[in-house]
Amino acid sequence: MRPSFFHHLHPPTIPAAQSRWRYTLGAGGTAIFLALILTITGALEMFYYIPTPDQAAISIQTITYFVPFGALLRNLHFWAAQLFIIVSAVHLVRVVFTGAYIPPRRFNYLLGLALFVISILLNFTGYILRWDQGIQWALVVGTNLIKTIPFIGDSLYQALIGGTQPGSATLIRFYAWHIFGLMLPAAFLVGWHAFRVRREGGIALPPPTLRTDSERITRNELVRREILAMLFTGSALLVLSIFTPAPIAPPIIEMSPLSGEVRAPWFFLWVQQMLKWGDPFFWGVLIPVIILIILILIPYIFPRPAESELGRWFPKSSGLAQVTLAIIAVAIIVLTLLALIPIK
Amino acid sequence: MYRRLLFIGSALLLVVILFAWQQSSRAPKPISLTPTLSGQPEYCLTCHADLPEISKSHPLQTFGCVSCHGGERLALNADLAHSNMRGGANPSDLSVVEMSCGGTSCHSGSEAENRDHIQRVMTSVQSTYAGAIANIRFTFGAQPDLNAYFGINAIKDEQTHTGITALSAFEPATETNSMIQKFGENCLTCHINAAPREEEAYARQTGCAACHATEQHKLTTAIPYTQCNACHNRGNYDLRSMTFVERADQPATRIQDYYQPIAQFTRCEYTLDCVDCHTRNEVMGDGDIHANQKDIQYVQCQTCHGTINQLPQTKTITGPNDIALKMEFLNPVSNLKVGDTILVTEKGEPLWNTRVLPNGTYELIGKATNLRFNFRPVMGTACEQKPDQQGSQYCHTCHAVER
Repeated sequence: MRPSFFHHLHPPTIPAAQSRWRYTLGAGGTAIFLALILTITGALEMFYYIPTPDQAAISIQTITYFVPFGALLRNLHFWAAQLFIIVSAVHLVRVVFTGAYIPPRRFNYLLGLALFVISILLNFTGYILRWDQGIQWALVVGTNLIKTIPFIGDSLYQALIGGTQPGSATLIRFYAWHIFGLMLPAAFLVGWHAFRVRREGGIALPPPTLRTDSERITRNELVRREILAMLFTGSALLVLSIFTPAPIAPPIIEMSPLSGEVRAPWFFLWVQQMLKWGDPFFWGVLIPVIILIILILIPYIFPRPAESELGRWFPKSSGLAQVTLAIIAVAIIVLTLLALIPIK
Repeated sequence: MYRRLLFIGSALLLVVILFAWQQSSRAPKPISLTPTLSGQPEYCLTCHADLPEISKSHPLQTFGCVSCHGGERLALNADLAHSNMRGGANPSDLSVVEMSCGGTSCHSGSEAENRDHIQRVMTSVQSTYAGAIANIRFTFGAQPDLNAYFGINAIKDEQTHTGITALSAFEPATETNSMIQKFGENCLTCHINAAPREEEAYARQTGCAACHATEQHKLTTAIPYTQCNACHNRGNYDLRSMTFVERADQPATRIQDYYQPIAQFTRCEYTLDCVDCHTRNEVMGDGDIHANQKDIQYVQCQTCHGTINQLPQTKTITGPNDIALKMEFLNPVSNLKVGDTILVTEKGEPLWNTRVLPNGTYELIGKATNLRFNFRPVMGTACEQKPDQQGSQYCHTCHAVER
């Protein structure tokens, strides 16, 4: 069979160990597939979505109830976005727990982290685009956090919100960030990230001389595996979309943090839980930034695994990095669960 | 092995896509309505096409659903569609009535145009319960006189004709006397915006619909006595125990079901419906705050029958804008026309369902029953009534029937 364009995106052969599910979990590839789904469904939503405060929620109701397959389209976009965050987090955990971030892949680890941060921002801006009663608490409280940053807080708030309080300028700015300001760097970073994976010898394995497994697979086999992953991911996505509709709420009547749903989007619930403990700058801004800095520093300050330890889970010599990430992950999960307990 | 997995995966995706297709096409076909008042499409009829039109005066094509009920006009999901609805299923609840039924062209316009329904209801004794509250507070020593100081809600009336400019909100919890507190707990189920007692006999809605909604999703001015009975004839409040005592009998006939507290009454009283005699100012209020029911209720036997010296008051309808014609239009039972002569009350309110006949007798058409009643004035009969005894109780001395 003559290799197609899609086959040519892959190397002619790769070590079989690089494409084992139990090693990679397929998380990075699944994230790229979800990103494609998000781009396509998002582009289709743009044909109907109107980014003005009085029309935004109405146009989403139009998509949901009157556009043929509009509800399915919106649900797919919603679920692909949520799965993207989960799959990206799994990818990050896999990379740290297998020590794959050591040089020469250290810089690509940073690119991946940047992508992760951008994807969270994309998810949050997309959530705000609903502009209905379900989002106003998170919008008002979330953007007020920016004001607490010393020196630059007020100017940064003005720049992001486009005024002294959320309004039509805010919505158009979030819209621009969502489909352009964040999407463009994300697309570029995905390309760069993938390029560097290939340039640095594919997925992390010990150097060829230290490998025990010399089996290789062809690009045909690799593409088959990718298609298989896409088929199952796509099916799961569709099932989620059919049975669990994306959240929707009545249009905003008056912008106030007290009306509507008093809950952050799920990926910020851990921050919402910490905000209950006191100073909003410390808990709401500083702690998340410190966590991000720790993640950035993982390849730099912690003991690194030896090259011979690559290609498998939990290399002993990078135990400290694994424990650090595990503590962060467990803390975030516990805080999220605490925030889900209904307020009595 | 991969070939087989690919086949399974493709088959799975195909099945899921077909299922998604089927789910998407199973949704009900949206039914659109663009009422002329709002000009904005709404899709409530997708599910609610079986509801009857609320009334002839509120045509569906003009009003639609959302201008009264609120809600999300585009949503085809029940939860979202019903969020933001005014007063739940009843937009005429007094807490939201101004938004649903108000507006200068609707029911909170000027008094001169007879569009001040909401102001009148808000200040009427049926809403304020001022007389009952004042009586109880006086009886148990919380106030020195029977004047009205409190209502169910705080209200003001700047242009008062009764001398009462405002009522404060009655708060039973702040009262020191336990009987008044108990009154607050047990006896506030009758004012027009209170949730009714639970049994079916007391079933009614709140606000305008308390009286005007006799069937589901129907508003009418042809209000049968049974509607009034939901509050006015179901039992009594026992002032010693401060509890409500349900009536024990099971009235089977109209005469048995007639207003219990009145021991003596005549035939016309139980054959007619309450609204055939009692006017809208008596029932809905006249826009002023009144101290109690006696201050606003004034129609007596003589309103229609006159006295031995005097015929009842009448008026001839001279133009098409006469209020009597407008009221008859809402409940066309008497085919009233310009030139007809009708009875009017002592305060000049038209008894639009009556007519003066050429032979000097009168005719009344039941607003709810459509029955025709012919009756005579007292003047020229053998009636022995004294000129200063015009209360109905004096008429009942001779003209009572046995229950």
